[in-house]
Amino acid sequence: MIKRLLNIPVVRFLKESPKTTIGLSLIIIMLIVTFGAGMFTSHDPLHRYKDEYHSPPSEEHILGTTRLGRDVFAQTLYGGRTSITVGVFAGVIAVSISLVVGVTAGYFGGLVDNVITTIINVVMVIPQMVLLLIIAAMLGGSSPILIATIIGFTSWPFGARVIRAQTMSIRSREFIHSAETLGETKLRRLFVEIMPNMLSMISSAFVGTVIYAIMAQTFLEFIGFGDPLSVTWGTMLNHAQTTGALSSGIWWEVFGPSASIIILGAGLTLINFSIDELSNPKLRAQRFMSSYYKEKKKLMKLEAKNSLGSSHVEGGQK
Amino acid sequence: MKYISKRLGFYLIAFIAAITLNFFLPRLMPGDPVQMYLAELYESGGRIDEATIRAVEELFGFNTNEPLIVSYFKYVKNIFTGNWGYSFANYPQTVLQAMSRGLKWTLFLMGSGLTISFAINTFLGILVAWKRGTKFDTIVTVGGQVMANIPAVIIAIFLSYSLAHTGIFPRGYAVTPLMVHANAFEYVKDVAYHAFLPVMSIVLMSLGGIMGMRANMINQLGEDYIVMGTAKGIPDRKIMLAYSARNALLPVVTTFAMQIGFILGGSLIIELVFNYPGLGKVMLGAINGRDYPLMQGILLMSTIIMLSANFVADLAVLFLDPRIRTEGKRG
Repeated sequence: MIKRLLNIPVVRFLKESPKTTIGLSLIIIMLIVTFGAGMFTSHDPLHRYKDEYHSPPSEEHILGTTRLGRDVFAQTLYGGRTSITVGVFAGVIAVSISLVVGVTAGYFGGLVDNVITTIINVVMVIPQMVLLLIIAAMLGGSSPILIATIIGFTSWPFGARVIRAQTMSIRSREFIHSAETLGETKLRRLFVEIMPNMLSMISSAFVGTVIYAIMAQTFLEFIGFGDPLSVTWGTMLNHAQTTGALSSGIWWEVFGPSASIIILGAGLTLINFSIDELSNPKLRAQRFMSSYYKEKKKLMKLEAKNSLGSSHVEGGQK
Repeated sequence: MKYISKRLGFYLIAFIAAITLNFFLPRLMPGDPVQMYLAELYESGGRIDEATIRAVEELFGFNTNEPLIVSYFKYVKNIFTGNWGYSFANYPQTVLQAMSRGLKWTLFLMGSGLTISFAINTFLGILVAWKRGTKFDTIVTVGGQVMANIPAVIIAIFLSYSLAHTGIFPRGYAVTPLMVHANAFEYVKDVAYHAFLPVMSIVLMSLGGIMGMRANMINQLGEDYIVMGTAKGIPDRKIMLAYSARNALLPVVTTFAMQIGFILGGSLIIELVFNYPGLGKVMLGAINGRDYPLMQGILLMSTIIMLSANFVADLAVLFLDPRIRTEGKRG
């Protein structure tokens, strides 16, 4: 039974690639913990416990309380919902833009490509973080949706560049030429022939953008552009900074959000690695190389044993 | 020098694009800064008449009486002649004066952070590619990438909490305030002591660069000239450093643009956490004081930093890649 389970391709892949397994489980754990926050804590993230200001971690408050007497653990769990949603939302916007821009440039080539590439390069030279800050400052930005939109609209150029390069390389392959000779329409070629080959590229760009969006969001909210009424990881860090939690040694107030962001980021990074591995067989060579090293070690051990046992075994394999 | 002039042309386009963005950004926003400033003035008990409005419009470079296109060209001309307007949070100072305080420290942080992280990333990338597939490779590559995906805020907070607040490193400032330095050496020592943690944060957050170097290096190691070199009996170290690393460095240098933007954004936030008197601090002051001219000035200035750093990278490519140098001669 277990043996049969182990032979399912998905399970076999997970077994062979620890990066994927660890990454997936980290993300799934974070998703369950944040979106099912009610199951793990009975505290309300906004409830203020009287006379428990800045109390250290205890059985009642696993990660202690903030200066206003709010439970840090509950805040971390509930705040994750907003943070993750903002990240995904911004990622969807950015990837959609970069997909349209990148595929257009890569597929049509020529003048269109030249113009779009110049635009992409120009946008990439303008420092995004500073631009993000200024737009947020001018809008007096606050709500999570607004932050996600700003991030989404400023972080597409990198993905667009990668997708453009990929489209160009696929476009010049033989199967596209043969599709052309078969008389397939442009749209069909684009969506049926090219798109499926880009799926890994798109998903890797998406994961990358989600990571970036979560980072940028933390940055914006830490500076103080967050909505003071909504609980997210960034605003938690901001509160800790403004109430002087760090300088007075209240480490538990920042521990929750920092650890969650790190775990989520690590999970997404590992997933990105395995997407790359799946789509680029060259990188998969690493796995074979490691098994090669293992075999080599085994052989060397065996050789050492043999040479100890009988000295006349010579030659053979190296 | 076709290559250089082509790049310079691109930078000019990029700079003008940044100016254009800067010009239209406040005009696209709901509620223009002039109105906001006037409202604030009114609330704090100021007298508003025609002359005040003119003066404030002058301050912001806004003029409701002239067509947009005229104001635009005026703005472009002003930027190029060094007239970036007044910062009204620190009024008699111009935007350039207000920025110059922070600029040198940010440049210092970025410069040292970039240099150190470039050296570390390149070295580790070469090493890891050479030993690809081993445990060392997995740990360094994955670890570096994970490190790069932790927001700079958290790295900085962690370092600040663990090392600065325990008293090992200073909690803020670029030099010890009110200290008279006995000699130049003392001064350098003091600056280095204060910059250590911020620079370390920059290095940690840019560890992702290992990946790029590693990938290029592995691609190079598969080339025929490497096999040829091995067959000729060239020592491994020479193949690694003089043959493959030199070629692998090229694409890394050309992807500098993103790296610099990343580090620029990161160093702004790192400055805030470490209370370092750089551009990030000036920026925060501008945001809190609703100082729009100063904010816009910082956006332009950071674009200039990006462009100059890119130009340096271009020169480095020119030095590393003989093909580009001879491009003009061939045809």
